[in-house]
Amino acid sequence: MRPSAQIYLRLLIRYLRPQFGQTLLLLSVLCANLLLQLINPLIMRRLLDSALAGGSVDLLTRLAFLFIAIAVVQQMAAVGSTVLAENVGWRATNALRRDLARHCLRLDLSFHQQHTPGEMIERIDGDINAMARFFSQFVVQILGNCLLLIGVMAVLFREDLRVGAAIGLFIVITLFVLLRLRNLAVPFWQRSREASARFFGFVEERLAGTEDIRASNARVFTLYRFHQLLRTFWQTTVRAELLGFSMINVAWLLFSVGNAVAFVVGASLFLSGALTIGTVYLIFHYTNLISQPVQRIAQEFEQFQRAGAGVARVQELFETESRLAEAPAAAVGAASSAGGDRAGPAGALSVEFKRVHFAYPTDAPPEERRSEDERFALDDFQLRLEPNEVLGLLGRTGSGKTSLARLLLRLYDVDRGCVLVAGRDVRLWPLRRLRSQVGVVTQDVQLFEASIRDNLTFFDRSVPDVRIREAINELGLAPWYASLGESLDAPLQVGSGGLSAGEAQLVAFTRIFLRDPGVVVLDEASSRLDPATDAYLESAVDRLLTNRTGILIAHRLSTVQRADRILILENGRIREQGDRSVLASDPSSRYHHLLQLGAQGLEA
Amino acid sequence: MTQNSERPPLSVVSTWMGLIRCFPGLYSLTAALRIVVFVGIFQVVGLLIRFFFDSLTGSAPLAWGPNAWAALLLAVAVLRNCLIFTDMYVFFRWTFSTAATMRKNLLEHILSMPGARSLPSSTGEAISRFREDAEEVGNYTVWALFLLATGTFGVVALFTMARINLRVTAFAFLPMLLVVAVANMTRLRVQQYREASRTSAGNVTGFIGEMFENVQGVQVATAEESVLAHFEELNENRRKNALRDRLFNEILDSTYNHFASIGLGLILLLAGAALREGSFTIGDFSLFAYYLDFAIVMISTVGVFIARWKQAGVSIGRMDRLLRGAPASTLVRKTPIYLSGAFPSARDASPAEADFLQGLSATGLTYRFPGSEKGIVDVDLRLERGSFTVVTGRIGAGKSTLLRVLLGLLPADSGEIHWNGRLVDEAASFFVPPVSAYISQTPTLFSESLRENILLGLDANDAKLAQAVRAAALEPDLAQLENGLETVVGPRGVKLSGGQRQRAAAARMFIRHAELLVCDDLSSALDVETEQLLWERLFARRDATYLVVSHRRPLLRRADQIIVLKSGRVEDVGRLDPLLERCAEMNSLWEGHISEQSSEF
Repeated sequence: MRPSAQIYLRLLIRYLRPQFGQTLLLLSVLCANLLLQLINPLIMRRLLDSALAGGSVDLLTRLAFLFIAIAVVQQMAAVGSTVLAENVGWRATNALRRDLARHCLRLDLSFHQQHTPGEMIERIDGDINAMARFFSQFVVQILGNCLLLIGVMAVLFREDLRVGAAIGLFIVITLFVLLRLRNLAVPFWQRSREASARFFGFVEERLAGTEDIRASNARVFTLYRFHQLLRTFWQTTVRAELLGFSMINVAWLLFSVGNAVAFVVGASLFLSGALTIGTVYLIFHYTNLISQPVQRIAQEFEQFQRAGAGVARVQELFETESRLAEAPAAAVGAASSAGGDRAGPAGALSVEFKRVHFAYPTDAPPEERRSEDERFALDDFQLRLEPNEVLGLLGRTGSGKTSLARLLLRLYDVDRGCVLVAGRDVRLWPLRRLRSQVGVVTQDVQLFEASIRDNLTFFDRSVPDVRIREAINELGLAPWYASLGESLDAPLQVGSGGLSAGEAQLVAFTRIFLRDPGVVVLDEASSRLDPATDAYLESAVDRLLTNRTGILIAHRLSTVQRADRILILENGRIREQGDRSVLASDPSSRYHHLLQLGAQGLEA
Repeated sequence: MTQNSERPPLSVVSTWMGLIRCFPGLYSLTAALRIVVFVGIFQVVGLLIRFFFDSLTGSAPLAWGPNAWAALLLAVAVLRNCLIFTDMYVFFRWTFSTAATMRKNLLEHILSMPGARSLPSSTGEAISRFREDAEEVGNYTVWALFLLATGTFGVVALFTMARINLRVTAFAFLPMLLVVAVANMTRLRVQQYREASRTSAGNVTGFIGEMFENVQGVQVATAEESVLAHFEELNENRRKNALRDRLFNEILDSTYNHFASIGLGLILLLAGAALREGSFTIGDFSLFAYYLDFAIVMISTVGVFIARWKQAGVSIGRMDRLLRGAPASTLVRKTPIYLSGAFPSARDASPAEADFLQGLSATGLTYRFPGSEKGIVDVDLRLERGSFTVVTGRIGAGKSTLLRVLLGLLPADSGEIHWNGRLVDEAASFFVPPVSAYISQTPTLFSESLRENILLGLDANDAKLAQAVRAAALEPDLAQLENGLETVVGPRGVKLSGGQRQRAAAARMFIRHAELLVCDDLSSALDVETEQLLWERLFARRDATYLVVSHRRPLLRRADQIIVLKSGRVEDVGRLDPLLERCAEMNSLWEGHISEQSSEF
C-alpha cells in the first residue's frame, strides 16, 4: 500500500494553508540562507587566487572579514528557518492529530472494539510523530536543497561548461537513483510500525491488568507473550532500518564518485590551464556543498518513507467510515419540523421500536447473538413508550437488553424496522442531538484522570459552576462530593485506590442530570451500589426520572420497582409484558416467579 | 511489606555501565567499529585530499598524478561504506536490545508490585516511559562512543595540523574550542526544557489513551468536541514546550557552526599571508578546512553528549519512578530478551502444592490511600477451613480494600497475616494460586482468545477447562460465541458483556483450584438466575474456603460469619441473626435490602 504523491500533496496543502504567513516567512528566511551559502565560497576562491598570485595583504584581510560577516548572518538565517519549520510542523501535525482523533472518536463501537487504547496512542501519536518531520523538514529540506543545487549548478556552468555538465550529470543520476529507491522501504516501515503498535498495545493492556495478572499468577506467561511480540517487533524493525540505511549508504557512495569526478575533471582543466587552482578548490568545495543537500535529500527520503508508512496508516484510519451514516441535511431538515426545536426545553419524549430486527455486525460483540435459529439480537421487537412512562426491562445476560439502549443511542443501526424517538426515526435525527436527548448510565462508568468538574462536564468549560452545584444539590450528593475534594477543581482519584465502582456511578448520575435529556436509560445503574447507598440514591433516581421517559435495565428486581410497566426479554424476543402491579400479582407470570426467587434467596 | 523508597536516584553512569554489562560484546564491537571508521578512514581521506591538491602544484610526497589520488579516494570511500553499514547493524542491535532489556525489567518489576497499586499514573503515560525513555537511554550510550571516536580523531588532527603550521592552528582552532566550551556550560539548562517537553508529551499520549478507553462514554455524552478541545489544549502546550526546547538547542548548535564558519574565516585570514609566501600549500589549506568540518562535528558531539547526559538523566528518572523504590540495579538487570533462538517456557517452573489451609488470620491490618483518609484501620479477621465469610458494608467502607490488602495487592501499612499459624512475610507473592484465587470487581481481560484469557499460561487439558467453564456458568455463552473458546475477546474484553467478563474471570479462578477463593462482589453484573447457578456450582466444592464481598441477602443468610465494615473499621462480626439483633449498621444495610424485594408482597 504505497501512499501516492497526491495524498502527500493533499495533506500538505490542507495543513499548511492555515499557516500561509508563517510558511511564507519560512521560505524567505530559507532562501536568504541558501543565497549566503552560495556566495561565500566565491569570496573564498577570490581570496585563495589572490593569495597565490601575491595579492595585497590588505585585500586578503578585507575578503577574510567579509567571509566571516556573511557566515554570521547565514547562521542566524539557519537558526531562524529551523525554528520556523519546527513551529509550522507542530501546528500542522497538531491539527492533524486533532482531526484524526475527532474522526476516530466518531467511529462506531465496532471499530473501537478492535483497537486497544494503546494502539490508538501509537496510531494517533506515534504515526503522526513520524509524519511531523514530513511537515517540518521534508518540504523545507527538499525545496531548499533543490534550490541550493540549482544555484550551485548555475555558478558552475558560469565557471566552465564542462565542469557544469559533469557535475550536473552526476546530480541528475544521483537524484534519479534516490527517487527510484523512494518507496522501497515504505511497506517495511509499515510492518515495523504495526509490530510496534501491537507490542506497546500489549504492554499497555497488561499494565492496566496488573491486578488480574498478579492474582492469577500469570507473570511468567505474560513475559512469554512479551518475548514473542518483542521478537516480531525486532525482526520487522531491523529489516526496515537496514533497508532505509542502505539508501543513505548508496547516496554516500554516489557522492564519493561525484567527488572523484570533480577531482579528475578539475585536475585536467587545471593542467591544461583552463582553471585557476582557486577554481579547482571552489569546485571541490561546491561538490562538498552539494553533498549536503544530496545527503539531506536522501535522508529526508528515508524519513519520508517512515512518514509514508505513517501516512498510509493515517489515511487508512481516515478512510475507516462509521457504519452510521448521517442522514442528508435535507432529510433532517424536512423531518425536524416534526421533531421540535433545538433550543426549546425537551421534556419527556416518546420512544418507539417498530418491528425491529437487529443483529450485531460479525466483527462486533457476539454476546447478544443468543437465539439459536435466528441470528438476531432483537427479533421483530415492538415497543411503545409514552412520554413520562417508565419501563422496567428484565432478562438474562445477553437477552438483548443492552442492545435496546445501544439502538436508542444509535450506537448501531437496525437491520429492519425502525427506532423512533419523539416520533422521528433515529436515523433522521442529527446524531449529536439524538444523543443529547437520550441519557444512558452504563454498567462500566469511565472516568478521566482530571478534575471533578472536567469529569462531570467532559471538559466542557462553558458549563457554569452554579449549574454543576445545582445538579449536585438536587441529586442530594453535595456531602459526598464535598468528601472528594475542596472544590470542583480537585483532581478525581481514578483507578484503584480512588473511587469505587459504585461511587463512579454517582458521577455518572450527575453527568446525566447535567445534560437534562428527555429519555433516560439506566443500564443496571445501581448494580454496584451497596444497599445503604442504593436507598440513599433512590430520591436521586426519582429526581432523574421526573418529567422524563425512562428505561430501567436491570438484573436486580429492586431496580425496576419504580417502573410503570415491565418487559421481560428472552433471546431478543418479548417473553412477557405488562403493567408491573398486574404482573406482580399474577402467580402464573414470569415476573412473579422471579420475585419469588429473589424473596426466597438463592440457595438451591 | 512497606516499600523502601529511600535510596538515591539512579545515576546515568551506573545505568550505562549496567547496560554494558548486559551486552559487553555488542558494545565493544560498536566501539571498535567507530574508532576504526573515525580515526582510520576519515584521517586517511583528509590526507588523500591534501595530496591531491599538492600534486597539482607539484608539492605532493609521491610523484603520483592527481587521477591516482582520486582513484585511491574512491577505493577508501567504498571501504568506509562497508564498515559503516556493519556499524549501523551493530548500533541498531545495541539500541534495540538495551531498550528491550529496560522495558522487560520495568514490566517484570511492575508485575511483581502489589497489583492494585503498581502504577504511579495512567497506563498511557506509563507507556510513554516504556516507549521513548527506554529508547533515549539506549541511544545515549552510543553517543558516548561517538564522542570517544571523534575525540580521538580530534587529538590526531590537532597534532597533524600543529606540525604543518603551529601559528594557524593555534589562532584558528584554540579560540574556537574556548568559546564552545563556554557555550557548553549553558547546555546544562537544557534539562528543565527537556523535562517540560517530555511531560507535556506524556500528557498528550496519556489523554489519547483515556479518550479511547472512554470512547463510548464520550460518544454517548456527545462530548467529542469538548474532549477534543481539551486534547487541543494539551497539544498546544506540547508545541510550545517542544519549540522552546528546540530553539534553545538550535541556538547552541548554531554557536558551534558559527564558530566553525568563523574558524574557516580565521584560517583564511591567517593563512593568506603564508599562502602568498609559499610556506602554506593549497593542500595544507584543504586539509585544515577538512579538519574544521570534523572539529564542528566533534565539538557539537561534546555538546550533544552533555545535553543528552541530562536528557538521559531525565529519562532514567522517569523510568525509576515506575520502579518505585526497587533496588537500583533492577532497571539494567541482565536478562535474556530472546531476539532469536527458542523461547523460554510459558509456564511457571514451580507447580508448588498449596499448603492445606487450616486457618487464616489477620490482625491489625491497616492501609490508607496516600493523601486520603480512606482505607482500612486495624482490621482483624479469622477464616476457618471450609467456611464462608461475607464482607459487607456501605459504599466506600473499605470492603474491596480489605480484600486487596489481605492478598497483598495493596501494601499494608501495618498488620500481620498468619496462614495455619505461620507468619506470611510477603502477602503479594504468597497469595497466588494454588494458595488463593481472586476475582476483582471489574476483572480485566486481554485481547486474546477466551481460552488464553482463562488459562493465562496454565497447563490444563480441555477436560479441566470445560469443567472450569461449567463451574463458572459460562457454557451457555460459549455456544453463542462465534468461535467458542477461541473467540478473541477484544481490547480489555469489550466484546463480552460485563457478566460474561466476570464469569470468564470466575472460570480463571476455578481452574486454578485454590485453597482460598476470594470474590469481590462477584454477582454485580449477573442476573438472578445466572447468579444462582454460579453460587450453586461454587458451593459444590466443599473443601474450599470463601471470602466474598456481597450484600445479597441469600449470601448473608448463608454466611458462617459476616464482617460488617464501617468507615474502614470492623463494626461487628458474627452470623446474620445475632448481628441483626445487636448491630445497627447491619440492620441499616439489611433494611436497604427490603427495597430489593417488592414491598407489595
